[in-house]
Amino acid sequence: MTATNAGQTAQTARVSPTRPRPRTHTTHVRGRLAALILANVGVLAVAAIFVIPLLWVLLASVNRTAGLTVSLPDHWTLDNFRAVLTPETTYRPMLNGVILCGGAALLTIICATLAGYALSRFKTRYKRPFLLTILFSTGLPITAIMVPVYGLFVQLNLIDTISGTMLFMAATGLPFAIWLMKNFMDSVPVTLEEAAWTDGASRMKTLWYVILPLVWPGISVVAIFTFVGMWGNFFVPFVLLLSPDKLPASVSIYTFFSQYGQVAYGQLAAYSLLYSGPVVILFLFLSRKLGGAFAFGGAVKG
Amino acid sequence: MTTAPPAKLKRAVGQGAPLGPAAVLLLVFLFGPILWSVYAAFTNASLSGAGAAASHFVGLANFKKAFAADGFYNSVVLTLVFTLISAIIGQNALGLMLALWMRKSLRFVRALGGAVVIGAWVLPEVVAGYLWYAFLAKDGSLNHVLSGLGLGTQDWLFSLPIVAVSIANIWRGTAFSMLVYSAALSDIPLEIEEAAQVDGASGWRRLVSITLPMIRRSIMTNLMLITLQTLSVFGLIFTMTRGGPGTKSQTLPLYMYEQAFSFGNLGYGTAIAIMLLLVGAVFSLIYLRALDVDTR
Amino acid sequence: MQRRIIGSGCLALGLGLGLGLTACSGSSSGGNTSGGNATIKVAYQQFGEGKVMANFLAGVKTEFEKANPGKKIQLLPLVASENDYYTKLALMLRSPSTTPDVVYEDTFLINSDIKASYLKPLDSYLAKWPAWGQFVDTAKGAAKAADGKTYGVPDGTDTRGLWYNKHIFAKAGLPANWQPKTWVDVLTAARQIKAKVPGVTPLNIYASKAAGEATSMQGFEMLLYGTPNQLYDAKSSKWVVGSKGFLDALGMVKTVFGEKLTPSPQDATDANLGNTISQQWLPQDKIGIALDGSWVNNTWQSTGPKPWPQWSSVMGEAAMPTQNGEAPGKVSLSGGWTWAISNKSANADLAWKFISELQTEKNAANYAVAGTQIAVRKDVAADPTYLKANSETPVFTDVVKVTQYRPAYPEYPQISNQIQVAMESVMTGQQTPKQAQQVYDEAVKGIVGPDKTTTQ
Repeated sequence: MTATNAGQTAQTARVSPTRPRPRTHTTHVRGRLAALILANVGVLAVAAIFVIPLLWVLLASVNRTAGLTVSLPDHWTLDNFRAVLTPETTYRPMLNGVILCGGAALLTIICATLAGYALSRFKTRYKRPFLLTILFSTGLPITAIMVPVYGLFVQLNLIDTISGTMLFMAATGLPFAIWLMKNFMDSVPVTLEEAAWTDGASRMKTLWYVILPLVWPGISVVAIFTFVGMWGNFFVPFVLLLSPDKLPASVSIYTFFSQYGQVAYGQLAAYSLLYSGPVVILFLFLSRKLGGAFAFGGAVKG
Repeated sequence: MTTAPPAKLKRAVGQGAPLGPAAVLLLVFLFGPILWSVYAAFTNASLSGAGAAASHFVGLANFKKAFAADGFYNSVVLTLVFTLISAIIGQNALGLMLALWMRKSLRFVRALGGAVVIGAWVLPEVVAGYLWYAFLAKDGSLNHVLSGLGLGTQDWLFSLPIVAVSIANIWRGTAFSMLVYSAALSDIPLEIEEAAQVDGASGWRRLVSITLPMIRRSIMTNLMLITLQTLSVFGLIFTMTRGGPGTKSQTLPLYMYEQAFSFGNLGYGTAIAIMLLLVGAVFSLIYLRALDVDTR
Repeated sequence: MQRRIIGSGCLALGLGLGLGLTACSGSSSGGNTSGGNATIKVAYQQFGEGKVMANFLAGVKTEFEKANPGKKIQLLPLVASENDYYTKLALMLRSPSTTPDVVYEDTFLINSDIKASYLKPLDSYLAKWPAWGQFVDTAKGAAKAADGKTYGVPDGTDTRGLWYNKHIFAKAGLPANWQPKTWVDVLTAARQIKAKVPGVTPLNIYASKAAGEATSMQGFEMLLYGTPNQLYDAKSSKWVVGSKGFLDALGMVKTVFGEKLTPSPQDATDANLGNTISQQWLPQDKIGIALDGSWVNNTWQSTGPKPWPQWSSVMGEAAMPTQNGEAPGKVSLSGGWTWAISNKSANADLAWKFISELQTEKNAANYAVAGTQIAVRKDVAADPTYLKANSETPVFTDVVKVTQYRPAYPEYPQISNQIQVAMESVMTGQQTPKQAQQVYDEAVKGIVGPDKTTTQ
């Protein structure tokens, strides 16, 4: 589809009587340079616009008496961070979160890759309704679903266990992940696999050695998305975990809200910055590993 | 002519086996609870109060109640507006633009842009709400900037709350679209576009005729996923405006919260949620048709 | 064909598994009940950085475990905002294996949990408890359900009244020790501030939906309870509709907002107005009078979000008057929390023992001071440490004598929501008080049924 499309466009351009004069080499280079500059400036401009609202968090985190206004602090201080960086408030919940969400995300990715592969190659007309159903079923409000889930967990003795919560979070991350993975797998031509099969490789080997390297960008996207969704998930760990020392970071954010709706904004801001850390690190790591943040310019061999 | 059953069965199992782990997780942990929830929409089940001690079947009463209630249609309209502005147009277009630009950017620009946009995404929802409140408030930073430039002040939180929360949601969610499109675009060999460029096709023409059609499936996937996510946005709007002033920014999730979940009415709340999902289903059908994609 | 069989097989299995497991929930037994050793689980809401409750409970736990060897206390703080706390608590209470034994219940929702049969009536314990006689009568009623039984022991409460800024009063020529006797007095003062001190908001009454329960309690009910009418008629067990007091309260709102004696509609509908008033406007002399709660001064402590050392000399307090000065002359509403016992607890007697330990005079007084609560017991109210701690807010402390609790029946949250709707529509001028009242009356009939309403 792709090669013919491009070919057709090129052909029409060639035979059309009103086709424009072919560009000279200089215009080409100038055009290319302009496009490059536009791209870089565009990204930087968007980044600048995105940063402005963030100013509140940055300023409030170093302000002793932070309120809801964006203002330079009267008293610059690192006290907010100091107050927040205790094992109870930050260290343990963050560690819990990394274990819980990391484990669940890993599980989701493995299951979703396998499932996405099967759905991508499976020929049946039940596929679309099946995919749509699982997608939509996760749109139901989490409050309502948690009631039977709580009951289920009590029955299975999984309540207040990290492993049980991990399994449930993996399950809830599956529909989106499967959908995305199937989508990415679809763009890998079956011909590649067939070539490997004729060489005697088993399905699993083909998956591992041929397909996976090609869908790495997709897997990274699914990884980030799944992890972020779980990292920010407050309600599920809140309901399924009873002991305070098992709770992840998304839950302990409520230590900054008090009885009469009074909020310790400075500490909340400081905590949020720390809280966002792991994900940004994950993103930078994945993008470094894949040789340049998520844009794999050169041709993908195949 | 028919293959011996054992071989076919073996192939079927072989083909279906990779689905196994996912299927087990989904069936055990999600399927049952979801069925219970859907059933609950036809009862007066609740977490507390009389409906908790003993719930009974009430048929379509919850649905009728929702339709009859004043705020329902207002919420549906607001939800549609919110989804259209922030997801279908905002996050989608901005994410695509960023992905396209980042293909050509310098590495550090990519890393910086990516980190900032993702930072916005990963910040806790309630903090993002406060942040945008501080930005748009009467003496917030936006007004400082605007009056500094001599452009007067805005009061969108009060006069156009649905627009204000839509913009906040674009800020928050663009990262997802950006990532999906980045991965999708990485599958397109640049040579094809360069070939078209050599033949004289302009940038815009290349985009519309070559690039976009090649990632059609990803566009559809992205639209469906962000639509579903956006339909259920709650915390951001709640923190910024509480759904107000009055009900001017009370989308369906906030309506659901006010009507049902703040009173623990699971049955009623789930009934409204099912209707929200129907809205999502309609959107998805529209995407499938419009993008003319077959998901075979 | 085989695929389809496999497919439907999986489906059936999953269905069976899922439904079967979810259908029977919470039938497993739990809790150690062996005579010698037992563990009591105590669940409470952990809000804010403040470790007041956590520290208090830790102290009582140590004492209790020492005095009762073999009996352990397990503290379960639930870190969450209100609604999530209630949700979690309800989930835990449903199942014997996860239920806490002692729970901290807000008077706002306790009736809902009572109706759901989550809580145990405490009358048999209270009858034998001497300290119960020390509780103020209205407090005793705070956790009394429609069936006449009491389900919780209040540990303290809050009150509401008028905070005023003496700087602004001085500029407006109003007395530094102001005590209005009627609504008109309040209006007069506000009008005088508007005339004499431009650029300052004279008065705030919460009237928006965004302010939530603050609008219902600090706003509307503080007005209504100053009239002869009520929200709920306890004698007939019916909700009141169409009363003159209701109309007058809305009329007051219309007057103050109409004459621009209050924050602009834009500020009034702001979701964070409460914090803005306590953290910015009051300390910056930008607002004259605030009808608010007894806890506001927490904001100004050195450990609070907005430390303000001079607050006690700048801020004055006055009780909210009744409409025309009718007895008792002052109005206050109270919220507050109670200690209750789960119906599914396996150690109810031991749980009660812990509660009575929490509520020894000494402990009750300690908590009242540490948690800046207003005492609901006569002995605590006379305790010297308490008196000293509350000496800075004498009016708010004193007004507990006339304070009333909301009719916190299960329908109350929905009724409260309708109050907020009415308040906001009058505040923005969208409806007249009469129209808003009609809408409210219809809504209440829809919530509780027409046979549960009455006119007064």
